[in-house]
Amino acid sequence: MMTGTSKITLAARRASGADLAIIAGIELGGALLLGFFLLTDDWRLIVALLAVFAAGFALLQIRPAIEDRIVSAFHAARAQALGLGAVVVLVYPFMMQGSSYALHLLVIAQLYAVLALALNFQLGSANIPNFATGASYGIGAYCSALLAIDFGVSFWLTLPIAALVATGFGFVLGFPSMRTRETYLALVTIAFGIVVHQLLNNFSWTGGPNGLVGIPAPTIAGHSFTAPIELFGQRLPSQANFYYLAAALVALAIVCARRLHDSRVGLAWNALRCDELAARCQGINVVWYKMMAFAVDAFLAAFAGSVYAAYVSYISPDNFTFLVSVTIMTMVIVGGMDNTLGVIVGAFLLTLLPEKLRIFADYRLLFVSVIVILFLILRPQGLFPQRPRSYGGR
Amino acid sequence: MSGPVLEARNLSIRFGGLVAVAGVDLSLSAGEVLCIIGPNGAGKSTLFNLISGIYRPSSGSVHLDGRAITGQPAHRIAAAGIARTFQSSRLFTDLTLVDNVVIGMHCRTRSGVLDALLRPRHARAELEAAAERAGELLRLVSPDLYQRRHTLAGALPQADRRRLEIARALASEPKVIMLDEPSSGMDDRDTDALIEDIHMTMAERPGLSYIIIEHDMRLVAALPERVMVIDYGAKIAEGPFAEVRQDRRVQEAYLGQRAAHA
Repeated sequence: MMTGTSKITLAARRASGADLAIIAGIELGGALLLGFFLLTDDWRLIVALLAVFAAGFALLQIRPAIEDRIVSAFHAARAQALGLGAVVVLVYPFMMQGSSYALHLLVIAQLYAVLALALNFQLGSANIPNFATGASYGIGAYCSALLAIDFGVSFWLTLPIAALVATGFGFVLGFPSMRTRETYLALVTIAFGIVVHQLLNNFSWTGGPNGLVGIPAPTIAGHSFTAPIELFGQRLPSQANFYYLAAALVALAIVCARRLHDSRVGLAWNALRCDELAARCQGINVVWYKMMAFAVDAFLAAFAGSVYAAYVSYISPDNFTFLVSVTIMTMVIVGGMDNTLGVIVGAFLLTLLPEKLRIFADYRLLFVSVIVILFLILRPQGLFPQRPRSYGGR
Repeated sequence: MSGPVLEARNLSIRFGGLVAVAGVDLSLSAGEVLCIIGPNGAGKSTLFNLISGIYRPSSGSVHLDGRAITGQPAHRIAAAGIARTFQSSRLFTDLTLVDNVVIGMHCRTRSGVLDALLRPRHARAELEAAAERAGELLRLVSPDLYQRRHTLAGALPQADRRRLEIARALASEPKVIMLDEPSSGMDDRDTDALIEDIHMTMAERPGLSYIIIEHDMRLVAALPERVMVIDYGAKIAEGPFAEVRQDRRVQEAYLGQRAAHA
């Protein structure tokens, strides 16, 4: 545990060369690890990379001082860390050797990262077990797709509309949920998710079980998102368009997450997570704040849904089942509750693992579960546990 | 100021057939200290829960500064100016001391979700200012707590938890502060320090009124001007401690009927 004084000095000090080296090492190392993981087909290399990944976290678990040092480096050189991260994200598609499969995985992983960040407002910040994130995701996707197909609305316009509609549904779900808590609340959200799935399955205007086909791809300044990107003599597969769109969405989700976490609202959510009665006695309107958590979750999840619909151009109710919600929840728990970075890493891990373990055919889900359990044993608080807030000198 | 800050009339609550609080009247003026004593299960904490809005009274009324707050939700009552601590401390254990106190300022700060998202600078500045004040408040209550302000509240020893809870309650700038057995689980030395702390905050904030539930008679003798005794949910005596302790019914309540007559 860091003492108060050292923490302030750490946050306020100037970035040193060592800080920059640590940041560069971690960001480039992480990118490299992910790159190898995405591009290889050799199961031995996959297992070896997972082992390296796990060893890194084992080291953090055994030597918390290393973790503190890394965190302080990122605090001291925040701008440089962000800049390098942005460059890595922008350049990354060029490193994928034109593999459309790797880019596809990255798009899906990023969309799940947004969903996990959305759920994190509830599960991580406020400890509301919401099993309906998949439903909000679906509402966003369907809303956006229907507007585009039936009314020819531009994708860029459907994005905010779908988000607002899903937020409305979030309130609709949040309102009855306020009469229940914990296990019962979880049951209400499960029911909501199933109701949405069944409705999508049975309405004729949603295409029923066949779903919606032929969702138009977005265009930007005449460039269709289905066309490959040609830049600097390099040719990126069409998935790269959505890679950048999803990356922008992740950036938006991170900004929302950081701003809310480091605000009075984030504190109020944390308060009611720990002790609802004590929170009420501090003047926190618990019902209102829980509703807000539902609304923010639905808002971001619907964004991800819109992008997903435009990306795959075909959606059916089975894309948005209860299982999707459970997966998102696992991502938050494995990654680290109430930790933005942790949740994103959790989302990538749980999206990529089942894909890369396809070699094990029927056993792959078994292996995925075993690996998830091993990671939870290794880091019981999640890969990146919640860290105390810091004030001043930022 | 004229008239009582807090006034409860004929306050009662029934849980099924059990009358936990029966027709209690209570009046508190600005800057006054009222101590509530009574045997275990007498209904003292229930009375606190009625005043702070955790329970809705079955009958009776509560007024703060002449405004009716009867049956309002707890967060409104907290915002109106009644802060409290709990018998078994209820801190936000997975947050830092500063965060705990800043949460105590919830109803004195304004930023909502849209402020946080669209005016981050403004929201952040408000929170930084709150953290600054929280630090000052912690320093006032205990320099030791101030030193540890960036550590987690769950790691504090019992006596410090109580202090932090009092700091958190003070953070909301209340008119009335209700302490539920502040000395429970403390040894004599801690209790002395606690009495010291309470005296200090009294000097610091002269207009603040206190209601204190207490079992430790040393604390009761040291602090308040007025003592109220509750037994079986009803008020059986009220007055200065020296008088109340001589009261026959009070002695019966505490010692049993036969011992009191012996």
